[in-house]
Amino acid sequence: MSAHSQIPILRIGSTLLVSIQIDLHDAVAEAFQADVLSAIEQRGTTGLVVDISGLDMVDTYVARILAETGRMAKLMGTSTVLVGMRPEVAATLVRMGYGLEGVRTALDLDDGLALLGHVIARR
Amino acid sequence: MDHRKYMTILKLDEAAIASRRAFFAVSDEDLARLASLRPLAEKIIDAIVEDFYALLLSHPDTRKFFADEATIRRVKRTQREYFMGLFAGRCDLAYVEDRLRVGAMHERIGLAPTWYLGAYRQYLELIRQHFDAQLTEQGAARDGFLSVQRLVFFDVALAIDTYIAANLEALGRHQAAVRELSTPVIRVHDRVLLLPLVGTVDSHRAQQIMESVLTHVVEAQARCIIIDIAGVPVVDTRVADHLLKTAAAVRLLGAQVVLTGITAQVARTMVQLGLDVSSMHTVSRLSEGIELALGMIGKAITAKSK
Repeated sequence: MSAHSQIPILRIGSTLLVSIQIDLHDAVAEAFQADVLSAIEQRGTTGLVVDISGLDMVDTYVARILAETGRMAKLMGTSTVLVGMRPEVAATLVRMGYGLEGVRTALDLDDGLALLGHVIARR
Repeated sequence: MDHRKYMTILKLDEAAIASRRAFFAVSDEDLARLASLRPLAEKIIDAIVEDFYALLLSHPDTRKFFADEATIRRVKRTQREYFMGLFAGRCDLAYVEDRLRVGAMHERIGLAPTWYLGAYRQYLELIRQHFDAQLTEQGAARDGFLSVQRLVFFDVALAIDTYIAANLEALGRHQAAVRELSTPVIRVHDRVLLLPLVGTVDSHRAQQIMESVLTHVVEAQARCIIIDIAGVPVVDTRVADHLLKTAAAVRLLGAQVVLTGITAQVARTMVQLGLDVSSMHTVSRLSEGIELALGMIGKAITAKSK
């Protein structure tokens, strides 16, 4: 669907679903952010689920891009949930002092969609 | 442990064996000489094996390894194979594997290197005596003995390496057991885990705790993990920091940490040290923690109606 980042952005109802399966190099990460934001802009969504279960490494740059994307989406009225982070990735991020504060997280896609449902209902 | 595993652990491939052979000066010439001595070896083997076990059976510390006649017969047979192996004229992968099997067997029965090395002394002395008596040609006994000695030292090194590898392997297993015991993660309910911490939490253990907690949370798809610190004697800035990091990482996975077992003393220390643990749910008693955790998965403990 996307011409830039090669990461498919799927739409279920008013929710966007992105599953990152490839390593996010700097250029890809930025293209990914742009793709997601333009998808939100074009389709008027309320929720965004980003699945990172395919990533066995997340550096601070990618972590920042992910957190930023969440904040940007929020400005456009879309709540974000990050799902499927691997244990070793979580341990590394925290050790580097990167706790992704303000980003909602869930264990897997199921939990993520349920959490999003709660968040949107509460709005 | 299987002797083939030692081949892998000790990284004994063709190149490693060639390097060892070079260092122990086991040349092709030595091997050829040993092969040519094979007829002599067959002649003296009975006497050597008998004398060898006479020594082992005369010493109280080595006698206990030979409980009965059947055992003695069996080890004598093995000994003959070992002895003839020295005169096979080869020192390749198969030879090394065979020698490791012997080393692994000695390790398994608990024969300490002391007796093993002492027995080799006797072995070499016996071979020397027989060579001196039987090889009359000028220098033949000495050359033959030197070849035997080179190969025997090559063998001894393999045996000692096997001992050390076996002990390291056992140590590793024990460390894994201690690690396992230091972070016993219990499943309280569907998607609720409990980690009762007992004892001092240092940086090394804190790291294990984090790794174990994160792995278990993902494996059990847990929504919540209760960490009970009632058994931790001192909760200082460092311990609190470790707990906070663990909670932050658990949150990244999409689960939550409930901290329980906070005694009055610990609460006082935490506030006096200015520790902010507001990112975790904290309660005093474990039972309250369990109720809180169950609440997170939409369950509750209720009284039975009569």
